[in-house]
Amino acid sequence: MAEGAAEENDKAGRAQAPREGQRRFAQWVRDYRRLPGIPDEFLGPDGAPRAVWSRFFDAFGALAPDEIERRFGMADRHLREAGVTYRAPGDSADRPWSLSHLPLLIGEADWQQLCAGITQRAELLERVLRDIYGESRLVAEGALPAAAIAGSPEYLRPVCGVPPPGGRYLSIYAADVGRGPDGRWWVLGDRTQAPSGAGYALENRLVLSRAFSDLYKSMNVPRVAPFFEAFRDSLRARADRDEPRIGVLTPGSFSETYFEHATLARYLGFLLVEGDDLAVSDNRIHIRTVAGLKRLDVLLRRVDSNSLDPLELDASSHLGVPGLIDVLRKDGVVVANMPGSGVLEARALLGFLPALSRRLLGEELKMPHIATWWCGQRSAREEVLARLDEVAIEGAYRRGVPGLDRAGPVLASELDAGDRQRLVDAINTRGMDYVGQEVVRLSTMPVWEQGQITPRPFVLRVFAAATPDGWAIMPGGFCRIAEQADARAVSMGDGARAADVWIVSDKQVSTATLLPATDKVRIRRIAGVLPSRAADNLFWLGRYLERAEATLRLVRALGSPSGPNKGTAASQQAAERIQRLLVAWGAVSQTSRTAPGRIVAEALQSPDRFGSALSLVRAAQRTATSLRERLSPDAWQVITEMAERLAYEVEDDDSVVSAAELTLQELASLAGLAQENMNRAAGWRFLDIGRRTERAINTMRFTRQFAYDEAGDEDLDILLTLVDCQITYRSRYLLAPILAPVRDLAVLDGYNPRSVAFQVTTLNEHIAALPSLKEHGLIEKPQRLAVALQATLATAEAEKLEVKTLFALEQDLLSLADAIGQHYFPHGPNAARPEKLTGLA
Amino acid sequence: MIYDIRHVTTYEYENPVSFARCTLRLEPRSGDGQELISHRVEIRPRPAERTVRRDFFGALTESIVIEAAHRNLRIDSRSRVSVSRQPPARDAASPPWESVRDIAFEATSLGPASPVGYVFASPLVPVLRPVSTYAAESFPPGTGILKGAVDLMHRIRTQFRYDPKATVISTPLTEVFDKRHGVCQDFAHVMIAGLRGLGLPAAYVSGYLRTIPPPGQPRLQGADATHAWVSLWCGEKLGWVDFDPTNDLLVGNDHIVLAVGRDFSDVSPVDGIIVGSPKQKLGVAVDVVAVE
Repeated sequence: MAEGAAEENDKAGRAQAPREGQRRFAQWVRDYRRLPGIPDEFLGPDGAPRAVWSRFFDAFGALAPDEIERRFGMADRHLREAGVTYRAPGDSADRPWSLSHLPLLIGEADWQQLCAGITQRAELLERVLRDIYGESRLVAEGALPAAAIAGSPEYLRPVCGVPPPGGRYLSIYAADVGRGPDGRWWVLGDRTQAPSGAGYALENRLVLSRAFSDLYKSMNVPRVAPFFEAFRDSLRARADRDEPRIGVLTPGSFSETYFEHATLARYLGFLLVEGDDLAVSDNRIHIRTVAGLKRLDVLLRRVDSNSLDPLELDASSHLGVPGLIDVLRKDGVVVANMPGSGVLEARALLGFLPALSRRLLGEELKMPHIATWWCGQRSAREEVLARLDEVAIEGAYRRGVPGLDRAGPVLASELDAGDRQRLVDAINTRGMDYVGQEVVRLSTMPVWEQGQITPRPFVLRVFAAATPDGWAIMPGGFCRIAEQADARAVSMGDGARAADVWIVSDKQVSTATLLPATDKVRIRRIAGVLPSRAADNLFWLGRYLERAEATLRLVRALGSPSGPNKGTAASQQAAERIQRLLVAWGAVSQTSRTAPGRIVAEALQSPDRFGSALSLVRAAQRTATSLRERLSPDAWQVITEMAERLAYEVEDDDSVVSAAELTLQELASLAGLAQENMNRAAGWRFLDIGRRTERAINTMRFTRQFAYDEAGDEDLDILLTLVDCQITYRSRYLLAPILAPVRDLAVLDGYNPRSVAFQVTTLNEHIAALPSLKEHGLIEKPQRLAVALQATLATAEAEKLEVKTLFALEQDLLSLADAIGQHYFPHGPNAARPEKLTGLA
Repeated sequence: MIYDIRHVTTYEYENPVSFARCTLRLEPRSGDGQELISHRVEIRPRPAERTVRRDFFGALTESIVIEAAHRNLRIDSRSRVSVSRQPPARDAASPPWESVRDIAFEATSLGPASPVGYVFASPLVPVLRPVSTYAAESFPPGTGILKGAVDLMHRIRTQFRYDPKATVISTPLTEVFDKRHGVCQDFAHVMIAGLRGLGLPAAYVSGYLRTIPPPGQPRLQGADATHAWVSLWCGEKLGWVDFDPTNDLLVGNDHIVLAVGRDFSDVSPVDGIIVGSPKQKLGVAVDVVAVE
């Protein structure tokens, strides 16, 4: 929604009397049930609202209750429509993102302190990494126990002694923090591997700042865009050439935070890549594109270190690039963060950081962290065992308590006697695998529940990006809210709800966006390279959508009252032909041919038939999921709506037909969006190639079925409807349909945008415009086939067409589709993937 | 003792392979009673790239890239090594295992020889309570580390069945342990898991056995292929001592060390990826001849 419209909304909401707002605010304060003995963000120790929150609720309370709900609804709708999702471990489908409607407010002075603590910590961790993987003096001189490092699965021996290309280990660092009982911010954990959440924070900000644009502006909240800009620029600067190519390495669309990877790629202007998209050549990383291998300079990885290279790390991983570590050794690619950085996430290290800070920085740590005893050390082990019921036990190197089949920290007091004894024994024999952590109750913040506010504990993730001018901190962050009121600090790994975070300033803030300053920008008209996998997905997206359209046309023809199926023997035969087509396409089952009433409904929306319109639109949606960074939000929204509509059960033929009609209109608007709004770079061409190919094949098949040698009026009439040529035909011939003119119009007429010839001509234009990967100077196979087809169609005469010629042309089209796949997507689903050599030699 | 070693690895592919990237660790180590005299590796088809480095554990590691289409890959490694080791007697005196554990843990080095790198779970060797409990039976409080390890080795040799058909490289340790069968690699992994479960530093050793035993001695199990055994750090004085649980003996002059790591994944002699053929047949032939 436009910014202007949002402001209008704010004005409407303001019409309420200020006094009414104050009354509501006072009521909220009275009803707010703080948790005993736990600090709160909203109310101070004296029970009065803190200044930043008063400012917020003054303005917020002035909105009428139904206006507030309307705004919240708007925010939720935006999230749903933008398709903001995440996937919990074990889920098979994405979950909608749940955003708490009230932001976390942090006063500027408080925030500055937090920033100073995070900056110092980021710098310290960078230096510790440099030592661990470099000279290793901290260990040699006893400042850091070797075992605290060696025990981490993230201590990567293959990169020991390999200087990080680009000069840094940490490009991005995040800390999970919470406010302790003493009112200070405490670090609960460090994220040095590949911190997630920045993209969600960005999305949360977009949504909330739109829903409450007036309020947002009045609070002087600094924007997050400059942070991302600084991050992007620093990654660019780290490459060893200007205009570097940067990729976001994602595990793929099954990853729990895939949406975020796509968001970041699109927002930062990076390529979204998977391991299979990349190849090692000449000691560098390259991306497989439709124009061949292109060098990739920087990888922002969201794949864990151990999965990055099956040759030197986890051999079973398919997420990485074989040979990547060797490229790092040869300084051939910048990886952010440097593989192995995750070693600092080990809790075993926490207790040593204060001394390391004094030693490496000459400073005391500015921010405390949660008290942690590493049981590898005798005194700490004894302390933990003596106070077993007061501390939480967690793995020293990764999440999960070794020896107990439980995720996350455990409280000994909650274990049964057997487990408790096992835990004690385990700590006594292999103490180094465990830490004890103090159980802290974190402060609470207000969340909105049914017209009231209520306190909930939260954890804030703060992000820091390394820039040439030092660490840049994202003003705001990723805030996760616990569902239970009494969650303890350590058991809050995953809040179910997120909140935006507003740093509230007394001063006006600048309104920077991610648009770069004009003098730095080189004019470009083509949007970078197109990875083969993205081209493959675009091609199939086009094909699925076109196939869905064809199926819907069949459904409409069969179900409409004026259509066949409703009268003469001839129309009955035509109806059977449609049914046969639907069966052949997998849109309906064989058996439902006996129950004509169910056929149209089944072809429309059966989730069990792979060829039903619903299944095809869902296939398009799945394909689109892997293209999130390349599709406009509008296009995504239309696809989602279609899938939702088709899944909505219909009762009679009429509603089937009207659902088909509506969906056909949406498909048309989607085609229009692609035609009018998509950049004419290679991506659009592959989408259109997919569409054209599928349309040519379907039109040929329809023609074969309904314009056979003895076809009657009914059949030809249906064909004209299916290929959308009724009007053209009637305006030209003023006659009932006749075989040769109908065949000419459907197959040969180059002026008819629905004809086979038109599709083939367009395909030829696309193929000619695509990068050529000439082998030995010969014409490439897709072009050879397409040119030959075009010649055949251009020279054919409608009167002399035979069904067997039509069939041969259809086969040629199928061969062309295959040739396009093999030529441009050589590592698509059908192509060769790297295989592991059998082990044990 | 001087040995000539021939180690030939062949892969046969069902379909032509258009690309291969491999890592080879085929050069026997020098040091710890062993000296490499000569070493040569021949590869067919000939690689487009060959680069050599030392890995973290000190093994000579060769990375090769083959770009020519091929249906057969043959890696022929020949080495000459002299071996002169004096293992401790099975009943030699040794410090109590608890003190070794504590000293190992206090190591102030992350280097490959530091025992601290070998007390934790590694990619193929998890720390599992049943295996730790099994090992603990050999280590009553105060037991000398050598005595405990010899006992554990002996129990594995007598209680596990040697069966080359029972396991493959990907068979998980739990299965090997539950079914009490496997090959040298499995036995080594089980022993390592048990020792580490007690907090003791145990490493994985890959290598060779002489093919024809000295006159009057039986042929050892595993002599026609690459072999694997366990190295246990037994305190400052004894250092690393090698135990062969497959043959229930302390490693002497019949063994030639190829590489040492945390488990098989660190020392795999031939590893790699290929493009083009999901089906492949692996052949390994090892011949170790005593020349003097």
